[in-house]
Amino acid sequence: MTDKTHDSTVVMDPSERDAAMSAAVTIQEKALTPGPDAIHRAELVVIGSGPGGYTAAFRAADLGLQVTLIERYPMLGGVCLNVGCIPSKALLHAAKVIDEAEAMAVHGVVFGKPTIDAVALGEWKNQIVVRLTGGLVQLAKQRKVTVLQATAKFHSANRLELDNGGMVEFQQCIIAAGSQSVRIPGLPDDPRIVDSSGALELYPLPKRLLVVGGGIIGLEMACVYNSLGVEVSVVELMDSLMPGTDPDLVRPFLKIIKKRYDSIMLGTKVTGMHATVPGIEVSFEGKNAPIAQVYDRVLIAVGRRANGDKLAADKAGVSVDERGVIAVNKQMQTNVPHIFAIGDLVPGPMLAHKASHEAKVAAEVAAGEKSAFDARAIPSVAYTDPEIAWVGLTETDAKRDGIEYEKAHFPWAASGRALSLGRDEGFTKLLFDKASGRVLGGGIVGPGAGDLIAEVGLAIEMGADATDIGRTIHPHPTLSETIAFAAEAFEGTLTDLYLPKKR
Amino acid sequence: MADHIDIVIPDLGDFEDVEVIEILVGAGDSVSREDGLITLETDKASIDVPAPASGKIVELTVSVGDKLSSGDVIGKIFVEVGDTLLVTPAIEAKIAQGDTTVMSSPASLAPESVGKQTISVPDIGDFSDVEVIEVHVSVGDEVNVEDPLLTLETDKAAMDVPSTAKGTVESVLVKVGDTVSEGSPLVIVAAVDAPETATETKPPEKTVTVAAIVPAEKAPTSMSSQAQGLPAINEAGFSKAHASPSVRKLARELGVDLVQVKGSGAKARILHDDVKAFVKKVMTGGAAMPGGGMPKVPVIDFAKFGAVDLQPLTRIQKISGPRLQASWLNLPHVTQHDLADITELEARRQELKGPARERGISLTPLAFVLKACIAALKEYPKVNSSLSEDGLSLVYKQYYHLGFAAETENGLMVPVIRDADKKDVYELAKELAELSLAAREGKLKADQMQGASFTISSLGGIGGTAFTPIVNAPEVAILGVSRSSLQPVWNGSEFKPRLMLPLSFSYDHRVIDGACAVRFTTFLSKTLSNVDALLQAIP
Ligand SMILES: Cc1cc2nc3c(=O)[nH]c(=O)nc-3n(C[C@H](O)[C@H](O)[C@H](O)COP(=O)(O)OP(=O)(O)OC[C@H]3O[C@@H](n4cnc5c(N)ncnc54)[C@H](O)[C@@H]3O)c2cc1C
Repeated sequence: MTDKTHDSTVVMDPSERDAAMSAAVTIQEKALTPGPDAIHRAELVVIGSGPGGYTAAFRAADLGLQVTLIERYPMLGGVCLNVGCIPSKALLHAAKVIDEAEAMAVHGVVFGKPTIDAVALGEWKNQIVVRLTGGLVQLAKQRKVTVLQATAKFHSANRLELDNGGMVEFQQCIIAAGSQSVRIPGLPDDPRIVDSSGALELYPLPKRLLVVGGGIIGLEMACVYNSLGVEVSVVELMDSLMPGTDPDLVRPFLKIIKKRYDSIMLGTKVTGMHATVPGIEVSFEGKNAPIAQVYDRVLIAVGRRANGDKLAADKAGVSVDERGVIAVNKQMQTNVPHIFAIGDLVPGPMLAHKASHEAKVAAEVAAGEKSAFDARAIPSVAYTDPEIAWVGLTETDAKRDGIEYEKAHFPWAASGRALSLGRDEGFTKLLFDKASGRVLGGGIVGPGAGDLIAEVGLAIEMGADATDIGRTIHPHPTLSETIAFAAEAFEGTLTDLYLPKKR
Repeated sequence: MADHIDIVIPDLGDFEDVEVIEILVGAGDSVSREDGLITLETDKASIDVPAPASGKIVELTVSVGDKLSSGDVIGKIFVEVGDTLLVTPAIEAKIAQGDTTVMSSPASLAPESVGKQTISVPDIGDFSDVEVIEVHVSVGDEVNVEDPLLTLETDKAAMDVPSTAKGTVESVLVKVGDTVSEGSPLVIVAAVDAPETATETKPPEKTVTVAAIVPAEKAPTSMSSQAQGLPAINEAGFSKAHASPSVRKLARELGVDLVQVKGSGAKARILHDDVKAFVKKVMTGGAAMPGGGMPKVPVIDFAKFGAVDLQPLTRIQKISGPRLQASWLNLPHVTQHDLADITELEARRQELKGPARERGISLTPLAFVLKACIAALKEYPKVNSSLSEDGLSLVYKQYYHLGFAAETENGLMVPVIRDADKKDVYELAKELAELSLAAREGKLKADQMQGASFTISSLGGIGGTAFTPIVNAPEVAILGVSRSSLQPVWNGSEFKPRLMLPLSFSYDHRVIDGACAVRFTTFLSKTLSNVDALLQAIP
């Protein structure tokens, strides 16, 4: 990686870009770039084509606005499609297949040790990305959304200037410029030190990987590399993995990876990195700090930073805080009402489904509808193995804010389906409002937790209580039953477990 | 701004080299906009070239026999302050069909961009008559496409009008302070060449749209507008309401605060129908909202703006407040104003005052007003009536109990003089004094404040020229009295100083019509001027 590409995580590997471009290029060519002096006018302009930006652009176009979507890269889709959610999930699927095959060995189904063709695997992943981003170009075309490839900056409250010299004059604007990886200053400039985008490029597979940062992104990549046979170590400054997540949800995951990973260094700080010929030499400090270690790849996954301050937003009068975050109201309007902001660069979790939901609100408001961000819960999922998912109130938050709640818990060890998957470490928990009995939140750990959590989200939005969930017939045998069982446990009507009477 | 502007031959359609057959004006002539300047003749017709603006002809550079074509300059005019340039029909047509020429992308400018360009106010949405607050260019300036020419300001926002041509500013047709609307010509630019992009960049699909220049602070209207009469949304409560996302969406659309809505679903879940029923109720005025469905006065934290001191209302204020409000809301009030000539009355009162005082009586003007009112009420018995509870009949009272508003430290009180028709002026004066004192001392008994059939509110001791008293319902009228003053009154041959007493007679229009009201006050005035009758002893 050159110096230049290194300072921006979102920059894609050239090979990936070429592949994607071949699909996108025909349309992009037409979707021209206004030349110098040219003024392009739009009723609504959207900056950034991630899940926030493209959703906003499409929804607004469907509502009759004349929309222009500006993206600095040749491929639409933003972080999520190109170097985030989608490629990482493709690789995690590969990891899962490997692990499940291996796990069956003790039960009598023995496969040989897999051979990993990192190049082919990477290509499969890239093809998925190309297919999806190409699909977006198609969708934009069908909706007559004008796509401009350029980096945009504000010139005034009604005008953007593009890096190619063009100008876009808009009536309304939606800022959806996303976020990028935080870089640790002073690290050697070495291709073996990568961010999440770099980590998605598997080839050549390292022998030893250090993941700096025990958050979701780092741990998902750790899972992939570990399953592919790489010796993985994780170092995290805080005392727990996925800081902020309820510790009980993380515990089953931690137990499993402790056995599989080289080392998990919590409460440990990286104090230095040196590029040497055999690898990157990393020194640590803290309770569990080992002596300096050498890794042949280091993934820096210490968080992401909002891009709000990279757009000269002050020229439009839009306030941006010192973390690059733009404050918005329930209509997703910034302090300048005809300029909206959505996605990673507004407050809240940096998640694709939050970005796309906000996008619809912003587009609707821009089109004159009375819409508002009314969602009560945003689910979070770590697609690790086991998966960890939660939605709504967490116990950590409830304790911090002094919110009274009651809890129901169902261990997957009592679920026939979980056992038949060979997995008994998971559990499902639900949190209820003491007064109304309504579901406030839920957490699930175990395979497929991310898919299961959607039902808890629906329950929260609908104001369901334990009876509503328990009395909804869930198919047997599925993992979804564990949600109904947790609700029944709360009600005292559960028969699949013996629980001593409450109260 | 006054300026020399070129007089240009308008679009002549397909004609070229048209001959000048007559010169209608000369240098120094004052012309009005649209006045003919020269006459041209084609083989089909002759055309007058109109003055583009009102002003003085500086020069005409053509003579009879010259051949002219569209765009040729035939002279200069000194434009009058405040006038705007006439867009001749032909030019106007061009602007209309080719909005883009004037207002939008240079990409479409190519063919027209050489030559003179009149730059007009682009589509500015719903605004008209907006003010020019700044002019950024002057004659001779070089401008580029998109350079701001001037700034307009509406009550909402300021906006720049960009140049749509590249070239030299020939003339500026407006000045700071002028008001302009969409299409008003602003600046004439002699375009030097077409912008490069126009010829070199293929116009993108859908790139060029004539979009409005948007006021910088255009707020989406959606936020503020909310179904009339509905309370503002309490977000904290809204976020906890027992309602599904689709019900919340409907509530947002209708501007309903879910906190106010009672759910009829299981476990008090708010359903779609509950939201709709709530809106219906509010719209028909029957919502169970504080204030009986009335829009609420905004709650303001005054302490934010300075020190405050909270004092509870007095007991009397607490009682009278709702009654006044009930009357004000229930009765269609009308107030009739009149002036009574009390010159004689006052003269006599001054004479009688001294002797009266010796009898311990303070003979106030109000006593005479009371006395006059009795006569008027007898003449117009409707004023001494009340509507029956069902509103279908009138209750005519055979008694004349007069309430009078008395100001006390604790608030407004209305003591009642019973059977006022049976009392002479001295007795009325005496009772007025006694009851006022009792009121001030808080010693009025309940029955001394009940049973009035008509009320008088005199503020004349304090001042004022007129006011609109609120009827003390279920009475149907009230007489307000302000301070008398000497006024010149025409007696048919000359102005005489007369002491005039302002009367303000509010009445329930359901019972009393305007003619009756004015007859009542006229009668009252007449009675007040006949002091002898007022002084008659009661048998
Ligand atoms: C490895 C990884 C895995 C992830 N996995 C998940 C997951 O499983 N689930 C999930 O919900 N989220 C996941 N995320 C997070 C998710 O990708 C983001 O929350 C999401 O992409 C945010 O969308 P966005 O539209 O706000 O911004 P982005 O996706 O960041 O898109 C912003 C776009 O704006 C463009 N842009 C920026 N500035 C300009 C400019 N000045 N002019 C023109 N264009 C500009 C950028 O090039 C980019 O394309 C993951 C992220 C990473 C890094």
